Amino acid sequence: MKLRVILGALLWTLLITVLHVSLNVGWGELVQKAKVAIGVERARLIVGFLPVT
Amino acid sequence: MTEHSEGGSLFQALKFGDWATVKEALIAKDIGAVFILAPMAMQLRADGVPIKVVYLGHRDGTAIVVGTDSSIRDFGDLRGKIVAIPSRYANQNLLMHRMMKEWNMPFDSIDLREVPPPEHPTALRSGSIDAYIVGEPFAAMAEVGGFGRVLYHTKDIWEDFISCVLVVRDDLIENERAIVQELVDGIAKSGKWLDEDLEHRMDAAEIAAVHYYQQPAELLKYVLSKPVDRVKYTNLAPLREDFDEIMNLAVEIGVLARPIAFEEYTDDSFVRPLDELDWDMDRLARDPGDGRGGRQ
Repeated sequence: MKLRVILGALLWTLLITVLHVSLNVGWGELVQKAKVAIGVERARLIVGFLPVT
Repeated sequence: MTEHSEGGSLFQALKFGDWATVKEALIAKDIGAVFILAPMAMQLRADGVPIKVVYLGHRDGTAIVVGTDSSIRDFGDLRGKIVAIPSRYANQNLLMHRMMKEWNMPFDSIDLREVPPPEHPTALRSGSIDAYIVGEPFAAMAEVGGFGRVLYHTKDIWEDFISCVLVVRDDLIENERAIVQELVDGIAKSGKWLDEDLEHRMDAAEIAAVHYYQQPAELLKYVLSKPVDRVKYTNLAPLREDFDEIMNLAVEIGVLARPIAFEEYTDDSFVRPLDELDWDMDRLARDPGDGRGGRQ
């Protein structure tokens, strides 16, 4: 019984995490952040401008 | 792609052709930061777009330009004339109204027309407008082309004039502070470097002409040196008194729908004293392609 509760909680946590990444973060964004975090890629920021002062 | 950071982050400059597209890109999160018109930043925030002004792009750098042979000699002569402005959300629009108040002229005494900045010089040359007010290099373009003369530089009629401001999305301000700090520091250091030596300005004109503006380097050199305080790149912290004046004017002429508090659209926590910032020029990579000081 105890094992089933723990497994259920883990599955539920996993499901919520997957949904959160899918709906709120995006898998591409997550992979990008992970690459920056482990030093594979550098952080990047796109800065818009018009060619006028 | 431009690498401005000693911290190693990449800042990609993305050129836009008009303000409406800039606004859409910001809302769609296609860009994290953008140099945008000050009143437009306020209006976006008032509309609920989650952005904040964190720094200025520059001070001054705008002029009212009339035809070389025009009979217009002072602001009062603009009464009844057609004057192009970049956008109703531009601080240039507010400046025209500020000047009309100073000269005791009703707000409808000048026919202000929105014209995209790159079209201002050709509109003046063709005679479809009598004057224009715009940011550089489009003011200097008429001077260098020999068909326009500056009636007023903003430095002479609105001290420390603000045109473009740097806005950053709120989620980056909250969650990615390090990269925003790198960006602000980079702009501050670039400005300090530009304002400390005319030679630096000439070098910058060469690089910006090729990589960003797609304009002749001589035009940008003119902008950055005739006179040298035509546009300034220091004193770029967003200050309450400056923005309150802009906001109040914008509300008065109906550009802003409602008053908006300085704290609501500004975050000055990234501003650091200039004496704490300096470029280590030896660490900036040289561009082997043109042999100049470009960053790769």
